[in-house]
Amino acid sequence: MENGNYGKVTQVIGSTLDAHFPEENLPEIYNALKLEVERTVLGETAKEVLWCEVAQLLGGGQVRAVALDSTDGVQRGMPILDTGSPIKVPVGEGTLGRVFNLVGETIDDRGPIEVEEWHPIHREPPKMSDLSSKTEMFDTGIKVIDLLCPLVRGGKAGLFGGAGVGKTVIIQELIARLARFHSGYSCFAGVGERTREGNDLWLEMQEAKIGDTGKRVIDQTVMVFGQMNEPPGARLRVALSALTMAEYFRDQTGADTLLFIDNIFRFSQAGSEVSALLGRMPSAVGYQPTLGTEMGELQERITSTKTGAVTSIQAIYVPADDYTDPAPATAFAHLDSTVNLERSISEKGIYPAVDPLASSSRIVSPEFLGERHYRVARRVQQILQRYKDLQDIISILGVDELAEEDKVIVRRARKIERFLSQAFYVAEQFTGFPGTFVSREDTVRSFEELCDGKWDHLPDQAFLYVGTIEDAAKRAEEIESE
Amino acid sequence: MANRRVLIKRRDAVRNIHKITRTMQMIANVRFQAAFKRAVASKPYTEKLAKLVDDLARAAKGIDHPLMRQPEEGGVSVLMVITSTRGLCGGYNHNVLRTAGEHLKSLEAGGERVELQMVGKKGVAYLKFAGWPMDREITDIGETPRFDEIEPLANEMMERFTRGEIRSVDVVYMKFVSTGKQIPVVERLLPLTGLESENAEVAPAVAEVQYEFSPDPHELLNELLPATVRIALFQAFSDAVVSEQVSRMVAMTAATEAAEDIIKRLTQQYNRARQTAITMELLDIVGGANALS
Repeated sequence: MENGNYGKVTQVIGSTLDAHFPEENLPEIYNALKLEVERTVLGETAKEVLWCEVAQLLGGGQVRAVALDSTDGVQRGMPILDTGSPIKVPVGEGTLGRVFNLVGETIDDRGPIEVEEWHPIHREPPKMSDLSSKTEMFDTGIKVIDLLCPLVRGGKAGLFGGAGVGKTVIIQELIARLARFHSGYSCFAGVGERTREGNDLWLEMQEAKIGDTGKRVIDQTVMVFGQMNEPPGARLRVALSALTMAEYFRDQTGADTLLFIDNIFRFSQAGSEVSALLGRMPSAVGYQPTLGTEMGELQERITSTKTGAVTSIQAIYVPADDYTDPAPATAFAHLDSTVNLERSISEKGIYPAVDPLASSSRIVSPEFLGERHYRVARRVQQILQRYKDLQDIISILGVDELAEEDKVIVRRARKIERFLSQAFYVAEQFTGFPGTFVSREDTVRSFEELCDGKWDHLPDQAFLYVGTIEDAAKRAEEIESE
Repeated sequence: MANRRVLIKRRDAVRNIHKITRTMQMIANVRFQAAFKRAVASKPYTEKLAKLVDDLARAAKGIDHPLMRQPEEGGVSVLMVITSTRGLCGGYNHNVLRTAGEHLKSLEAGGERVELQMVGKKGVAYLKFAGWPMDREITDIGETPRFDEIEPLANEMMERFTRGEIRSVDVVYMKFVSTGKQIPVVERLLPLTGLESENAEVAPAVAEVQYEFSPDPHELLNELLPATVRIALFQAFSDAVVSEQVSRMVAMTAATEAAEDIIKRLTQQYNRARQTAITMELLDIVGGANALS
């Protein structure tokens, strides 16, 4: 047994446990505690390390900690070591191409890692004076995103959506699009999502190449997973571990770093799971009272500084499609760009199912995008808004009763609605259409012409899953000849 | 869970529309009965007259009348389109206008100069929106067309036709076949040709009858042919009105039902949202109380 400050486990409740330490040597909040547990699985007994994190000091030498793994096999009276510092994860070039869990252990069976530094996962957000004030658009080649809710280089983007509307697909598509043409590093945090998806992504990244450099995407990427199978403590901290690794790249190498988090809602959810066990009174809808604080502490660290930029893209699950739920609502405030996915659109078979009226970005203004892009984006939204307003009337009285101007708007809106769909690289095998990258110039021009009524003569289906407006015209010819 | 206030607002809006469509449906029903009676009342006369002219034309073979002559050169083709003055009648106007548009195109493709006469505010509004020039707008004929309103129109056209200003007159309107079926048709008013074929159902059944004419056939036809034109135009207007009311009835019935469905759906959504909110609040209260004790 290592030497150090030992305590004794006094109580275990679910994924939290209490320990007793000598009063004069209490561990600090956030300190990592280490516990050796014997677990018997199928008759084989093995010693495993269980990490915990101090959450509360209860007085009288009692310490309450959140276990970062299952508490199976923990017994009262077990010795527990205070490591004297928060959880640390390896950082640096040595981590690239590898897959970690939240305590910085590799889980990809590729041998030991070579790193010089380990950083604690808790730290202060960058100082206000260090923040970068540059604002620049980040092209994705996805029409609906570039036009209506453009991502900000060095900013934060959130993909909101209920269950099964395509959040994970979009985040994987963005990885495929951005990481492939990205010169810096990428970090991926899998928080409480399906383990299978993480595995798929890992395999895919090993095959994908960056541009024409011949380098594999995985060689410039770090992945950290704490998926659904993990106890709440792990899901609560895994985003921080990934963020710590990304921060190192930002601060030490100055490179542009991409941070993908799927799914930030699970972080809040994990927080609420341990909250009651820590004795906090539940707040609105049963969430932890510290919901806003927890989210703030995480989000404020994901930011660009003068030394380097972190562009983060986060998927945010919306429980029961209710955007007023406190968890997504709390995340909302931190983002530069919000991409809302809407079930009614995915039900129409239009993917990505981005809600063009609810999605927005801080930089949708003539100052950042230019007069033309801004005007086209607003016109598209106006047409779609009018269409939405008319929807009830159409469903009651039928299209024939509309005024002629409104009929034109409805016809155009139906085309725009379909034209906002796009084929994805990662969904090629599902849609049967090869992925398309549409430049921002083409996107703006296409929608401008569509709003001007230049393409009113094409059938609606021609606009589904095409790239530029010329592709739609070509598709229309194909449909015609069939 | 949608916002409850928004749901209530939407439901109120749909309820208001529902009220209107239901009233419209009942009004259309009454108007249809009246229009139907009028149209049906004039039908036997129209048919008998057509048959008489038909028989006469057959009996007095080789008859030649200015109204039956196809002008050789010059003149414009008149296209009269009968639409409604009021909306809320489903696809009625749309169907008439589409048929008219197709016919107009085929006329123009044949190299003819077309004079477009549009009856009814809806058609006028449509053409104005589409930027299509009209030669004449007739919007003063009400929902119960009277014969003395239609007569001058027919007289004027016959006069211009005999003067050679007009090559042909076509009327596009919604023909009333039955309550379940109305079809947009193009009917040639002038020159009076193909009388036999048009009344094909009547003609073959009747055996050849030898007539003795008094006064002579020419004078008789001089009187009867203009009457046929007048009555045919009147019948077109009457049919259009009946068809319009039927369309409105059908459209409003469908709209009322659709509105009822939506109200039902919104009510369900509202109730669910309300129940969810109550459950949430209870959970919060109970949870809070338990945490305190």
